[in-house]
Amino acid sequence: MKDVKKFLAVVLITAMAFLAIPQAFAGGEKEAGKAEAKTEMPVLKIGVLGVMTGHAASWGLVCKYCAEANAKIYNERGGVEIDGQKYKIEVTSIDTKQDPKVAVTGAERLVSEGFHYVIGPNVDNTAISVSPVFHDGGVVYIPYSFNKELFSPPNENAILGMIASYQSGPVIYKWLMENRGIKSVAFVARNQPDPLNQRKWGVDAANELGLNVVSWKDTYEPGTTDFYPVMTKVIQNNPDLIVLSGVSPGDAPLLLNAARDLGYKGLISTETSQDLVTLNKVAGKNAEGFIFVGGATTPEIETEEMKYFRKVYEEVAGEWNDEAGTKVYALPAIIWGLQAAGKAALTDVEAFKKAMPNVDVKNPFVKGDRRFRFVGEKWFGQPRQLDVPMVVNQVKGGELETLFVGSVGD
Amino acid sequence: MNQKNYARIVLVATLLFIYLIVLPIIFRNQRYLLNIVITASLLSCASLGVWITFSIGRINIGQGAFAGIGGYTTAILIMKAGFSFWQSFLLAGLLAALIGFLFGLVILRLKGVYFAMLTLSLTETFRLIFLNAEGLTNGGNGIMGIPRPGALSIAGITIIPNFGRSNIFFYYLSATILIIVFLAVWRLYKSRIGWIFKAIRISEDLTRSCGINIVKYRIMAYSICCFLGGIAGSLFTVFYQNIFPASFQVNDSVYFMLYCFLGGLDYLAGPILGAFVLTGAFEVLRFIQKYQEGIYACIMIALMLWLPNGLMSLNLGKVFGKRKEKELETTEADKLLKSYNPDSGRKSLKKEG
Amino acid sequence: MVIQMILNGLMLGLSYALIALGLTLIFAIMNILNFAHGQMYMLGGFVVYYFYYVFGLNYFFALFMCIPTLALIGVIFEKFFFRRVLTLGRREESSMLLAMGTALLLENIALIAFGYKEQGVPPLIHGVIKIFGGYLPADRAFIILMSVLLIIGLLVFIYKTRPGRALRALAQDKEVTYLMGVDVNKITMLGFAVGAALAGLAGGLLALTFPIFSGSGTPITIKSFLMIMIGGAGVVPGAIIGGFLLGMVESFGYGLISGSMTYLIIFAMIILLLIFRPQGIMGKPWG
Repeated sequence: MKDVKKFLAVVLITAMAFLAIPQAFAGGEKEAGKAEAKTEMPVLKIGVLGVMTGHAASWGLVCKYCAEANAKIYNERGGVEIDGQKYKIEVTSIDTKQDPKVAVTGAERLVSEGFHYVIGPNVDNTAISVSPVFHDGGVVYIPYSFNKELFSPPNENAILGMIASYQSGPVIYKWLMENRGIKSVAFVARNQPDPLNQRKWGVDAANELGLNVVSWKDTYEPGTTDFYPVMTKVIQNNPDLIVLSGVSPGDAPLLLNAARDLGYKGLISTETSQDLVTLNKVAGKNAEGFIFVGGATTPEIETEEMKYFRKVYEEVAGEWNDEAGTKVYALPAIIWGLQAAGKAALTDVEAFKKAMPNVDVKNPFVKGDRRFRFVGEKWFGQPRQLDVPMVVNQVKGGELETLFVGSVGD
Repeated sequence: MNQKNYARIVLVATLLFIYLIVLPIIFRNQRYLLNIVITASLLSCASLGVWITFSIGRINIGQGAFAGIGGYTTAILIMKAGFSFWQSFLLAGLLAALIGFLFGLVILRLKGVYFAMLTLSLTETFRLIFLNAEGLTNGGNGIMGIPRPGALSIAGITIIPNFGRSNIFFYYLSATILIIVFLAVWRLYKSRIGWIFKAIRISEDLTRSCGINIVKYRIMAYSICCFLGGIAGSLFTVFYQNIFPASFQVNDSVYFMLYCFLGGLDYLAGPILGAFVLTGAFEVLRFIQKYQEGIYACIMIALMLWLPNGLMSLNLGKVFGKRKEKELETTEADKLLKSYNPDSGRKSLKKEG
Repeated sequence: MVIQMILNGLMLGLSYALIALGLTLIFAIMNILNFAHGQMYMLGGFVVYYFYYVFGLNYFFALFMCIPTLALIGVIFEKFFFRRVLTLGRREESSMLLAMGTALLLENIALIAFGYKEQGVPPLIHGVIKIFGGYLPADRAFIILMSVLLIIGLLVFIYKTRPGRALRALAQDKEVTYLMGVDVNKITMLGFAVGAALAGLAGGLLALTFPIFSGSGTPITIKSFLMIMIGGAGVVPGAIIGGFLLGMVESFGYGLISGSMTYLIIFAMIILLLIFRPQGIMGKPWG
């Protein structure tokens, strides 16, 4: 009986310890949505459903931090105004653990708690698995998935939150052909659905442009730590450009190290966004010249608004992540849509969807008079994509240098 | 004795009443909460299988593989061969059992940590097979958009109508299957076979010396385990309407074990209790979900240190669980065996020295 | 190409051998399968990351710090967790679930303390050595050298010193060792500490080429199980052979076919091997 008591005591103590941890460690976490809740304002609930633990945790966490930082900014300015009524924004985040089962359960929870606007999920299989749930539950969501079907009719509740690799790939290759004179290209991908799809689209785009695809079959497993064998194969044919299809920010520096250590001198690029801090730390000099689609902001194009967001983001998350430059658009896009659609859209996403083509506001995060619209008709047959600037970067001396800024609308 | 039986009947009836009537009524408009109970039911089903392998003295970390086999069989039969759910459901279980049988012929010769390590590798192996057999399984893209079960009709008479995406229907489906499985396993353990399983755990050599073909019985136990894993996987797949190589991994296999331990390895209801308590607790305390794995870890350690017989060994066990004879069977026989075991000898030596 | 694969395999094989040695040592002495072995490897990486990169100290000092840190964790595990469960000794499963629990615990503590981000350390020695047309980065050559030295050091410790002899005796027969006047508890603790420290050292070494992140433990645990299944659990030469073989096969497999196919084949081969030799290549037959 003594043991039983001990057991129960330990379970209780651990449970309490884990309850205390969030308060002690992540002070900023909860406050984001709830700060300055003194005035009795109606609440606009926004859900974030993304992978926040495990290998790809940074993808979902960026969504979460961006939503929280945005909410904090809106709330400290007195909430958002929709049809003359001010609303306070509250963000709730759910971890999908990159597991479709968990994602579906999380989606069901959001639906049953009355959420109508959700940011995420981050990975193809979780994004697709929640599709029927959100469709039945009347939820508009912004997944970061490259699956075209999600955004094409008859599906109409998903809005692509970023630039897909099949959109940026051709633009990058074309630019490199014209400006760097590349002729041959090799692809290497992580053996997972998203990267493999991205490789497929990349190869198609390269063929269309008339590039010589010297190799494309090489893959590596998730969790691979030794990239020398696969890189040895890739550089055999000495391509002018190696494309790391769908590479995760953690793997990219190691692939760069392997390629450069093995004596490869050509260009390396990827269509996914990367983390400069990790690149510099792990790859150091080997990261020099690495070309990738950046978060949609750079010092050259960012406005005061963006600078302020960056400051708040750093308060919420601890450090800036380049991807936040893309994901900053998700929550404002929902707000702009709601403002265009009016009060009815708060509970009825049909009104929101109807108003989407009418959204046309000044993009507050980019200098000049760039507009923000819902785009993507060319790709999906309906406007179901956020018009995020396509910024292509190159690492130079440990800093990011913008090569060019494009757009999906182009 | 009579009083105890009476108490047990009341308890079982109450639990069934809550499970089959109270919960569905409370949660009828809460798809999310219904989901939780459905998940717990399906997890219980797979864990019961693991419990059976525990009962023959094998540590099985391979149930995830068989859940995966069941899931993929269902998905492929429905999506590519045009079978109905009901047909593929049975076939999924049978195929998992068959594969379990074939593996069992070989791997059941191993014991202890070797068996554990090998079954752990099996989970990994099958994940890799699902990942690589692209023609059949769609590789890492998984199989998605699997329809929910349609109507079941036998000889033109509709027995179960088409419920579409209604979760209440799925709730009762999973509940029915869990109850049937539980009753079947319970009946099995009341029979001679159940006693043989327990005897195998205590000593394979002794059992063999009684003229029992232990190879046959341990393969039987393992095949049943795999069958349960298969049908649970099949139900999971149609419930979530998708399956990926990552749907059932090593961690899932470990959690199946944890449910058994938490409930209590000596009690048939142990795995079910374990699965419901753990799944339920995390939904109630959802703000700690972020630390779910860390808490699982602490529970595992604390459990082994201070409550090795599981939750069922608490007071509840007196009413619901096994009586004295059961205690005697495990502990006394264990002690007897232990006295031949040099490891426990050390302890007694030390006391004297 | 073949040279390159051999060079890669050499580094992998030797560092894997180091990992397998630690696991097999703990197994031989306590009959425990240390599920937390991969997590100990991961912690070794973080020790080096903090001492070498964050605090900017000498790499060798950082590597050395893996020994006390991980040995301490090993001692704590042994003294407070495993000893009690083993003396209760109700079922074999208990110590296994306990071991799994410790693995999950370490991983989650690491997650809370270090986060999810992949970390890396700058190379210790720059440059690449060319051998017969294969490339061997200097860091990898260093890892190969250090692994060999550590393996030799461990063998000397086990076979030539008094505590080493006590460890071997303990693995053979606990009771007789006790009767011979050996402090069994102390030696068991020592064995666990050495095993844990080996995992940590391997982690600290490989931190030079592989990313350091809190999730890196489980794959290493599974791999180390494969190694001792190949070589035979609880036997020192078996661990070295198992680790080396796995490293080589992995390197060639990754070079010639895809990674997941490689592991699929490795798993199939191991199941086949265990049909014919359930005790692994070097293991003693058991009942």
